[in-house]
Amino acid sequence: MSQTAQKQYHARAPGTGSQVTSLVKEARAGSRTAFEQLVDLFQGDIFRMVFYRTRSAMDAEDLAQDIFMQAFKNLSGLKAVDRFRSWLFSIALNRVRDFNRKKRFRALFGAFDDSDEVAQSYAETNDHPEALGNLMIKDFWKQIGLLLDKLSRMEREVFLLRFMDHLSIKEISQVLGKSESTVKTHLYRALQKFKREYSILQLLQEGAP
Amino acid sequence: MSSDKGLHLDEDQLLWAVVDEAELPPPLQGHLSTCPQCRAAKERFEQDLAHLGQMAQRFAPLPRKRVSLPVEKPRIPIGWSWDWRAYFGVAVTVALMIVIVWWSAPFRTTPEDSGDMLALEMREADRVMTEISMLVENALPPVYLDICGKSDPGLDEEFMQFIAPSIKNETVSYYSGKGGVVLC
Repeated sequence: MSQTAQKQYHARAPGTGSQVTSLVKEARAGSRTAFEQLVDLFQGDIFRMVFYRTRSAMDAEDLAQDIFMQAFKNLSGLKAVDRFRSWLFSIALNRVRDFNRKKRFRALFGAFDDSDEVAQSYAETNDHPEALGNLMIKDFWKQIGLLLDKLSRMEREVFLLRFMDHLSIKEISQVLGKSESTVKTHLYRALQKFKREYSILQLLQEGAP
Repeated sequence: MSSDKGLHLDEDQLLWAVVDEAELPPPLQGHLSTCPQCRAAKERFEQDLAHLGQMAQRFAPLPRKRVSLPVEKPRIPIGWSWDWRAYFGVAVTVALMIVIVWWSAPFRTTPEDSGDMLALEMREADRVMTEISMLVENALPPVYLDICGKSDPGLDEEFMQFIAPSIKNETVSYYSGKGGVVLC
């Protein structure tokens, strides 16, 4: 990763490592305030992580609530306090998988109309007053959806965790329970497919600040 | 991954460099660090990926509500959960219940009461024994006594004999005349 990209990554990483570690230690000792601070630090990241995978703000809110509740209950089971972030993401990933499994099951029996849900999600994504902005947002998520559809399950997960959730290779290997070399291989294959998506590359260059 | 000295990195090698630069063979790493063209190509691709993350974050909604944690119950040390008023209330209630039970009529027993009860029990025992004696003498119920004509105490055997003497028996006629007693 280039120095610029590294700066961007660290600029948006919630809290410093030592700050998070000390908060986790306090929360494990029973400090509710410390856990609330952890929620403040990570709620945005977890909410977005879920949103990228469900494309529904309402579902992302509900799932984020569940994820933090689960983390709150099981914090004493966390062995390595310095792995809090990856531990939290692994809880989130499992919760999203459960949610998607149930959603597919409901869709199988016609109790859930996926197209309606996606349309609603776009509508609730942002309250941008500009029509052009809304169009761009819709186009962006559509292109992302098309890209992700071309990736295998592991490639998709590794790609999202690395470039949209901004986790390191080491953190991704902890979240997925795979070796770092396996993660790198999946990431390489995902990047190969990403590189062939000219439309999304063009969109990214147009939308670059 | 092949390393060609003097040549620029190909697309696959650039992808590996983006994934992890340490995955490249040392000669390629050396080339990448010195070649501005390859460096620029790698950074351009990394910028695209960084823009992807930024745009995703920008176009994602914000959570409308804060995550709420379960309501914390106040911790009360064992033994101090009840104050002295609670203990006092329980003690008064228990004392009142004991007094009520002690003074209630069905359970109260005094020496006088126990003497009365003994006499009552003895009278009851006498009555039962009388009934048993009657049953031993004649266990037939009143209906059967009526049938066999033993229910009416006024018509006993002696009375009936008087009314209609038995033929089989020796009849003694008392002739109270001159000859004295004559047996028929």
